[in-house]
This record gives sequence, C-alpha cells and structure tokens, in this order.
Amino acid sequence: MQFARPLADLIAQLERLPGVGPKSAQRLAFHILRTPEDDVRRLAEALRHARESLRLCTECQNVSETATCPICADPTRHRREICVVGEPRDIASIERLNEFKGVYHVLHGLLNPLDGVGPDQIKVRELLVRLEGQVDEVILATNPTIEGDTTALYLAKLIKPVGVKVTRLAHGMPVGGELDYADNATLLSALEYRREM
Amino acid sequence: MEGVRVGEIRYHDFRNLAVVELNAGPGVNLIVGPNAQGKTNLLEGLHLLSTGRLLRGSREAQAVRHDQPRAAVEAALQPHGTTVRVNIEPGVRKRALINGLGLPRAADLIGRLPSVSFSSQDLAVVSGEPADRRHLLDTELSQVYPAYLNHFSVYKRALEQRNALLRRAQESHVEDEAFEVWEEQLAHHGAAMRVQRQEWVDGLADLATERHAALGDGEVLSVSYRAADQGELSQSLASNRGHDIHRGSTSVGPHRDDLDIQVAGAEARHFGSQGQQRTAVVAIKLAVLALAERAFGFPPMLLLDDIFSDLDDRRRSHLMDVAFEAGGQVFVTCTEAEQAGAKLLGSAKIFRVKCGRLEEK
Ligand SMILES: Nc1ncnc2c1ncn2[C@@H]1O[C@H](COP(=O)(O)OP(=O)(O)OP(=O)(O)O)[C@@H](O)[C@H]1O
Ligand SMILES: [Mg+2]
Ligand SMILES: [Zn+2]
Repeated sequence: MQFARPLADLIAQLERLPGVGPKSAQRLAFHILRTPEDDVRRLAEALRHARESLRLCTECQNVSETATCPICADPTRHRREICVVGEPRDIASIERLNEFKGVYHVLHGLLNPLDGVGPDQIKVRELLVRLEGQVDEVILATNPTIEGDTTALYLAKLIKPVGVKVTRLAHGMPVGGELDYADNATLLSALEYRREM
Repeated sequence: MEGVRVGEIRYHDFRNLAVVELNAGPGVNLIVGPNAQGKTNLLEGLHLLSTGRLLRGSREAQAVRHDQPRAAVEAALQPHGTTVRVNIEPGVRKRALINGLGLPRAADLIGRLPSVSFSSQDLAVVSGEPADRRHLLDTELSQVYPAYLNHFSVYKRALEQRNALLRRAQESHVEDEAFEVWEEQLAHHGAAMRVQRQEWVDGLADLATERHAALGDGEVLSVSYRAADQGELSQSLASNRGHDIHRGSTSVGPHRDDLDIQVAGAEARHFGSQGQQRTAVVAIKLAVLALAERAFGFPPMLLLDDIFSDLDDRRRSHLMDVAFEAGGQVFVTCTEAEQAGAKLLGSAKIFRVKCGRLEEK
C-alpha cells in the first residue's frame, strides 16, 4: 500500500527505533495521527529536549543533565570501586538496593560482532583511562548472556595486567524460587558456582 | 524413577487440529487415517511438549491453524497430574508453561516428558549429510542432559559471532583480543560438547551393534565419533584464524564433526544398499531408545510416525516388538490399522483421524 508522503516518512523514522518492526511502526504512526495535536507537540518537544539537554557524564558515561552525573559528583561514593554495566538502565537496578557505595561505568553496549559492535563501539577506552587513577576493584556486572559474559571476559583480559582486582557478579538461583520452576540455565550456573557451607 | 506418561492431550488451532482432545492410553496408541488428515500433526504436538520444538525445519507461524491468531498444545502428565503447555503465536516468543506458570524458555520443558521419535526422515541419519548426524547427537543429548543443551546453544551463538568477526576482518583490522574472547567461549563449550558426544556415542555404539545383530542380516554395524580436528580446540582456532578469515567461516570445532557409520566394514552412507541403510537406522534408533531409557530410568515415550511404508515386514515387526516390550507409552501412526499387526492391534487404543478430527474406537 502507498501512504501519503509525510505518513510514509513518519513510519520510516519509527521503524529505525530498536524493537520496532514495520507493523508496530505503522500502528504507532496511525496512533500519532489520531492523537490531539497538542499531545503530539508535547511528545516532539520531549524528544527534542531529552536529546539536546542530556549528555554523557564525563566520568562514568551515564546519561546526565550535567557534565558530571549526580552519582559521580557525590563525595560519599567510593571512587575506587567501579561497577561496569552494559546500559544506563542497569544502574537503576543496582541503585535500588541502596547497597553499592562505589561508582559506575556504562559501556553503552556489549561486544556483538553480529551487530557490528566491537571494542571501539562501546566505552572501553574510557574505562581504561579511569583505571590510570586509583582504583581498587572493578566489578563486572554485564548481563549473564553470551555477549555479556564475553564482554566481561574481554574487560578482565585488559584490566588484570593493570593490576586492578576484577570480579564478576555471581549468577545463580533466584532467592525464594522453587527448583521445579527454575530454568535449566540458571540451575546449571547455580550448580557450577555453588559455595561451600 | 517412575515412568512419565501423557494422559489427556488437547490441541487448539495447532496445524489442522482446531479443537482436539485425545485421551491417550498408557500403552500403545494407534493413530489411523488416510493421508493428510493430521496424524503427523498429532505426534508433532507431543514432540513439541517433549522438546519445546516443532519437528525439523518448521517455522512457528506454520504451526498455527490457517487464519487463526495462535495455537496451543497441552497435556496432563501422569502420574502426578502436572500440566505442560506450549503456546505459539506468530511474532511472540513461543511460551512453555507448567501448571500455568511460564518457564523462561521453551527449552526448559526438556526432560519432563522424554521421548524418542522415529519417522522416515530418520533415514538421513545414515544416508544424509554430516549435519543430519550432528542433529541426532544434538537433539538426543540435549534431551538427556540440559547441560549439553546449554553448551550447544552458547557454542552456536559464539560461532556466529566469531564468523561475523572473520568477515569483518576481511575488510578491516581486528585485534587479536577481540577474537580470543570468542574463541575461549568456543573452546570451553566446544570441548564440553565433544566430551559428552564421545561418551554418548561410545554407549550407543555397543547397543547399536547388538540391536543390529538381532535384526539378523549377519553383518556387523559399527558406529564411532569422528572429530574434525585433534588437539586443543583453542589452539586450533587460533592457528586457523588466518585461514578462517580467508574462507569467512570457522573450519574447526564440533560443528564440523561427524558420526562414522559402517556396515560390514564399509561406510554405510556411500556404500550401503537401501536395505542396509534402513537396518542400520532401525538399529541406531533402538540403541538411542535404550540409552534414553537407561538415562531416565524408565522407557521414554515413543513416537513412531509412518514407519510402515518405509520398512519391510521383518524390520517393522522387530521394531514393534522391541517398542512393545520396552513397556512405555507408544504412539504409532499408519494409514490402515491392519499394518500394525495382530499383536499390536489386540492391545492398542485406536484413534481414527479425519480432517483434523478424532474418533476413538
Ligand atoms: N497451519 C496449518 N493450518 C491448517 N492446516 C495445516 C497447517 N499445517 C498443516 N496443515 C494441514 O495438515 C495436513 C497434514 O497433516 P499431517 O501431516 O498430520 O497428515 P498425515 O495424516 O500425517 O498424512 P500422511 O499420511 O500423508 O503423513 C495437511 O492437509 C496440511 O495442509
Ligand atoms: Mg504423516
Ligand atoms: Zn557519572
């Protein structure tokens, strides 16, 4: 089917977003057409404002409104402990615990040659620069996927020669989970990384 | 361990089965009907509950009845009454549920309702390509050992990643470390796969030779695992890197291995007659069944699809005898009930299929 030019443009733009296929792009576009003009203007403004006012923290690469993000600017955080995560949203999960007192480093991706992502496409160099300062421990908290594990492996290879301690988040059974419903991969890794009691 | 069986099975918009309930007997279930009525589809539903996967080569959307939004297969497992269910919806991830609770992945169903399938496609184990034989290894090992499935899926993904890197390296420089981490994954998981495959094939080989002798052609069947490369996989990967960049794919590792199947001292794939190949397949599948039974401690569900048209009387009745004597639950399809033989007919529960509907007899 042929759409009017502005509609086709809108669909094409939406389709470029991650996780949006041609069908959802069309659905979103038609939804936008039916939305009151004021609401659409607010959406467009929010998009533009977010993009223009947000930048990456010069220390940890997290998205931030200021040159240094609130966590990096907080004098009570231990700057010698760096927790490395794949995406900004991973910080929120750990922050929710109110346990970790160190600082973060956001890679903005994981090694993934199939998607054309190598070390140069993520914030690896920026991490190595930070290690030139005083750092006691780097905690690798990338997702327990193949790409997350491989990225952790890669970082460990680079960091160990620098003489900084490198740890990886353990993955195992969810607390309170029942064995019968646990997925095999989780159970297997829990078995592999069991601890002595 | 107590044997697991299926009791009531429900199909909903699965292939040509709109709403079908099949109340399976604990022993032999004979599914009879003319061509293209839904016999294989009934077995495929069971295969799906057992493995989380459709039969070979099928895409998920194809399993949903035409013009319907989604398909489901559900069964009550005996003796504990656990229900297992798989939902298929195009564009959404296939979902497996146990007692209504979703599992993280459909593959996590594996091991709850063990099964061994046998259909005319299995002839490829002997006559087909190395990939067909690896497929046998991978599916059977995955079913018995979830750890194998884990190694296998990580290996497959890491292989795709290394291959992508190889192609990238054809155009621009890729640092060694970027290769090394993927190669470490391949070496770790690939070596684990090879150990498990080797062990499984060693067990299979003796059983297959025995079963083959019992089929009585007076020839000797031998089965062995053939690794494509020797030595440390990590080293082979590193030393083949240049060569692999040139060809754009990975030349060493378990994805290149094969089974060596010989009848009377000659490779059955190239030199076996059709009869020799069929006897070898029957012997190998019976050995697979015995191995699975040994691993689970009870006979797995046996799914025999349309084996009558491919086998001669002697092989067919031998296969049926062994299947019957194993004492597990069996599902057999055929176009005419008489093909099953008097022995089976006497004890089987018989279902007739017509246009995706069922009549119990
Ligand atoms: N998604 C689908 N929706 C509707 N019908 C389907 C779908 N997929 C397959 N079918 C139909 O199911 C029928 C085939 O069923 P099946 O393969 O189970 O036959 P069968 O009884 O095993 O036949 P045969 O004896 O030839 O092996 C075909 O008519 C096919 O068109
Ligand atoms: Mg069929
Ligand atoms: Zn910061």
